[in-house]
Amino acid sequence: MEIAPWEAFIRSTALHAFVRDHEPWLWPLMQALHYVGASLLIGTVGLFDLRALGLARGIALSAFHRLIPFGIAGYALNLALGIVFFFGHPDQYFYNNAFRLKMSLMAVAGINVALFYASSAFAKAKAVAPGADAPRRVKVIAGISLAMWVAILICGRLITFFRPPFFH
Amino acid sequence: MDTIFAFIEESALSEWIRGSDSLLAFPTIITLHALGLGFLAGGGTAIDLRLLGFAPAIPLKALARFLPVVWLAFAVNAVSGTLLLIAYPTKAFTNPLFYVKLGLIALALFLVHRIGTILRIGEVEGRPLAGGAKPLAVLSLITWVSLILAGRFLAYTHRWELLGVPAIL
Repeated sequence: MEIAPWEAFIRSTALHAFVRDHEPWLWPLMQALHYVGASLLIGTVGLFDLRALGLARGIALSAFHRLIPFGIAGYALNLALGIVFFFGHPDQYFYNNAFRLKMSLMAVAGINVALFYASSAFAKAKAVAPGADAPRRVKVIAGISLAMWVAILICGRLITFFRPPFFH
Repeated sequence: MDTIFAFIEESALSEWIRGSDSLLAFPTIITLHALGLGFLAGGGTAIDLRLLGFAPAIPLKALARFLPVVWLAFAVNAVSGTLLLIAYPTKAFTNPLFYVKLGLIALALFLVHRIGTILRIGEVEGRPLAGGAKPLAVLSLITWVSLILAGRFLAYTHRWELLGVPAIL
């Protein structure tokens, strides 16, 4: 596989050089932080979804929603780290089916979360009192969210097993 | 000790996990380990954040209903972790970092148990949380991050030794 212009550009950046110069300690550190971000996301958004689906009904959904900013922080951390990973080894990610599937699933998760906050689902969710069952629309969105984040984590872990047969 | 490691390493199970081209072997086991980590460290972190005063409207007794999810994730990681150990016993047991991780797992088990007890006792209106809840939550947060760091660096410190660079410990 020839190096495409976009990849040549990424390889010319200071960020690419920085990652490659410090790779032995920087790479595992970034991976560990990527798991910290994933844990924040699963622990807040994932548990919110589980509550919406009927687990721990004693918690009002609006009460658990106060933890969501930590999930957003985890997402932001992982987005930043993901960009650095990509700049370090663009070919190993771009020509990788696990990575491509992960990006597609992230798009689905993104549309799903946009639907949640832009539609009436958010107001309905906030009204789910302790002990109450969430409305169907909220449950469907929560189910898609949980399935997507679990699948995204799985695809992320599998990226290394789907690396292309070449190494630029 | 070397003969024990060799015995494990030459077993059919060890060779299958290590050498099989099947996605069901090493890739599935390590993926389950990552998924378990997400719910274990993630669920644990959410509980810690509540004890530290974020989302104070979450009743502690209701939050305790998430504990089975955390313990299930712990079980998934104990099983998948053991399988990874069977695949690469020498790699783990000769690395000092592995023993740091074992110690952190013991600490995490203790903390989840203690924090679980605090959740089940619940909060009495107007009274502070059960003794030491906040320090335990802080220690727990530090433990989850340390466990993740130890786990990830385990895969790399061995490789550095192979390259002639001493392990970080």
